[in-house]
Amino acid sequence: MTGSSAPPPARVIHVLQGDFAVSSDPAVMLTAVLGSCVSACLHDPNAGVGGMNHFLLPDGGPERRDARLYGVHLMELLINELLRQGARKDRLIAKLFGGGRVVAGLTDIGAGNAAFARRFMKDEGIWCAAESLGGDFGRRVRYWPATGVARALQLSSIEPSPPPRPARNLEVSDGEVELF
Amino acid sequence: MTLTILAVDDSRTMRDLLKQALSEAGFLVHTADDGVHGLETLEGCAPDVIITDINMPRMDGFGFIEAVRRDERRRRIPILTLTTESAPEMKQRARAAGATGWIVKPFDKDKLVAAIRRVAA
Repeated sequence: MTGSSAPPPARVIHVLQGDFAVSSDPAVMLTAVLGSCVSACLHDPNAGVGGMNHFLLPDGGPERRDARLYGVHLMELLINELLRQGARKDRLIAKLFGGGRVVAGLTDIGAGNAAFARRFMKDEGIWCAAESLGGDFGRRVRYWPATGVARALQLSSIEPSPPPRPARNLEVSDGEVELF
Repeated sequence: MTLTILAVDDSRTMRDLLKQALSEAGFLVHTADDGVHGLETLEGCAPDVIITDINMPRMDGFGFIEAVRRDERRRRIPILTLTTESAPEMKQRARAAGATGWIVKPFDKDKLVAAIRRVAA
């Protein structure tokens, strides 16, 4: 990290698939290894807070409503935590990573995830300052949430990643209804 | 009879998903961007059920529910919150503000439609 403007991270948080993390601590660095998954990194420069999620839409990609619902849900969990820590949605700046075509097949899963993320930011009026999406390789992304600085490293081969797991809220809730 | 729904959410993506799912269920769906816009929209439609998000700019879901309940004409419209939040104190706040029910996102279309029909009956 010689010559880097970012301070050496004192605390590294690995953001796993289906999860997200938010921090305003300058010593925190968020990181994820992405194949066809996408990470949306969001930062509010005024509040000095940022966060990152890591998602893979379920089978069928963004054409299916339940897939989009899942993607929107992970975006909303991230955004709500950012708001709780002082961010404002209209000040958020996005950086998008991942969506690589790392498995040869008929459907390009990575492209579906990338398209969903781009479309979401556009529809929500969130400015996308940088992106590194697509390609036939994986990425290791590093993100400093307090400053919004991001780095992406191209990986020649994808390291084994943990098996997909649902987002934490999906485990406890599936549209749970409570009438008062 | 076609039920009219007003869905209030600051996320355009979520409004589109709700509009699509509820239209398919046979409802007439109006949408609004936040609490302030929701109150404006209420002047031009008479919904049978209101669905509202909690975290929104300008006026959040709690403020919106309270404002709707202050209006004599709208005191009886069922209001369902639809949110990623599930903390008991937030549920309690919504209930105190006058909400009819609490639904946790991501929504399941069938459960949401069933809840709407139940509170509208």
